[in-house]
Amino acid sequence: MFGLIGHSTSLEQARSKALELGFPEYAEGDLDLWCVAPPQLVETVSITSRTGKIIEGAYIDSVFVPEMLSRFKTARRKVLNAMELAQKSGIDITALGGFTSIIFENFNLLKSQQIRSTALEWERFTTGNTHTAWVIAQQVELNAPALGIDLSQAKVAVVGATGDIGSAVCRWLSQKTGVAELLLVARQPQPLLDLQAELGGGRILSLEEALPEADVVVWVASLPQGLSIEADSLRSPCLMIDGGYPKNLDTKVAGGGVHVIKGGIVEFWQDIGWQMMEVAEMDNPRRQLFACFAEAMLLEFEGLHTNFSWGRNNITLANMELIGAASLRHGFCSIGLNQVPQPQLAAV
Amino acid sequence: MPSLETTIAASTVDSPVSTPAVGSSDDQDLGLPDFSSSTYKDAYSRINAIVIEGEQEAHDNYISLGGLIPDQAEELARLARMELKHKKGFTACANNLSVTADMDFAKEFFSPLHGNFQAALAEGKVVTCLLIQAILIEAFAISAYHIYIPVADPFARKITEGVVKDEYTHLNYGQEWLKANLETSRAELEQANRVNLPLVRKMLEQVAGDAAVLHMDQEDLMADFMTSYQEALIDIGFTTREIARMATAALLG
Repeated sequence: MFGLIGHSTSLEQARSKALELGFPEYAEGDLDLWCVAPPQLVETVSITSRTGKIIEGAYIDSVFVPEMLSRFKTARRKVLNAMELAQKSGIDITALGGFTSIIFENFNLLKSQQIRSTALEWERFTTGNTHTAWVIAQQVELNAPALGIDLSQAKVAVVGATGDIGSAVCRWLSQKTGVAELLLVARQPQPLLDLQAELGGGRILSLEEALPEADVVVWVASLPQGLSIEADSLRSPCLMIDGGYPKNLDTKVAGGGVHVIKGGIVEFWQDIGWQMMEVAEMDNPRRQLFACFAEAMLLEFEGLHTNFSWGRNNITLANMELIGAASLRHGFCSIGLNQVPQPQLAAV
Repeated sequence: MPSLETTIAASTVDSPVSTPAVGSSDDQDLGLPDFSSSTYKDAYSRINAIVIEGEQEAHDNYISLGGLIPDQAEELARLARMELKHKKGFTACANNLSVTADMDFAKEFFSPLHGNFQAALAEGKVVTCLLIQAILIEAFAISAYHIYIPVADPFARKITEGVVKDEYTHLNYGQEWLKANLETSRAELEQANRVNLPLVRKMLEQVAGDAAVLHMDQEDLMADFMTSYQEALIDIGFTTREIARMATAALLG
């Protein structure tokens, strides 16, 4: 059985979802009530692969909302309690979605293995970052040519290059895709130098320096507050993959020659009978989902009950290839520009 | 006692997994309180008394329940004996810190729930008695002990870790009985929940200040209680929607 741990994008949205799902008392509750509310296993779902294999899964709402980010203890408790519920529910592999994996990493929750009477078994959880990184790399490879961008001649900026997903995307684009030049953007100098040495190339730039040069920009960092991007200063065409969380790049820059794709989102080959993806504001919530969630499904389809994506900067090209092949086999494809036809599965 | 302390000091929870060096959490953890300060001891005299009184009342309540469910009397007497053992352990914790438990405060603290239990007992209401003692009080105790353990002094930590394991046995006893009798118990359970759950919230609020001195956070206490209570009610057979209705009654009322 696979599991997904997710959350609403705001308290307001969470309350309206609670009403819809039959929890009117939560709908009336204020932030304090939501802070003490336990995680909820909201629904179970059955998924059929293109291969015909059927798996069962559950969606757990951590009852976290982004308004709690400033309350460290609350945020930590929400994530750990949701993980405890997943484990106690007998779920073999659970993906941490949205802020869940961000909180897990930034608050160093590996220290907190004992939750009440439960010792969390890390092998039951995955960040889903390997699949997310593979999907983002695919989104670059499939959509840049459609805009007339020749990747072998192109400069690709990766914003958040030293993060778990960012470094994996850099590795893939330099070694598998063969882009002309990687522009490496991140806040801390030393990890950037380490990454550059590992890649054997790439140019380290500030965000302001990188943007005007880039034919493709991969965002895998949350956007700096107050960031404004002058569309005129960018190349045209410019492909932007919004792989951060939350996905709000299109509100900052769009139009002209700039094309924004929601990064790390996949579409399944058939409708999934669940309600919860609507809270993630997907364009097609019956089929679209975060690639990190899809990784838990893929690991279940493949019988790989292991923390496939775990820790920081452990993503290998071999694992990206493995999860990518599974992704296509079981019926996922990355979402792209509207006018770009999706790849034919038979051809893969 | 010193030997116990050293044993426990060596057994602080360490993750077997290697951890990244950076974490923004460290600044915000309060760490351990100063167990020897007069402020700590003052607060501890009330919290410790509550625990001692709670264990004594639990003993008495399980013995009383044996009168209502005679075929279970032996098992209930066994549970009751465990509570007395816990009481001894927690009394030793107070002695270890040279604190005198404020038992008058604790008796007053428990009196509303105690009164409700006694009234239900007099009417032969097994379901209400079980909800109060074996579900509400046990879930309350389990969550409080879990929050306490990481910030307890080494001696009390060891004692409390042992106790919390036993308390699950008691919670489980109540769950099993109510699960087996859910259809005939449902209405009484909901009514007993409505009357008694708000008392638990008031009790939590009443000790919030003292708990904070012990570095036990009120929101953590409430959240853990809600989690334990939800788990128990799910096991008994309530749906999550019914539980949301029952649990939030205390918070919104």
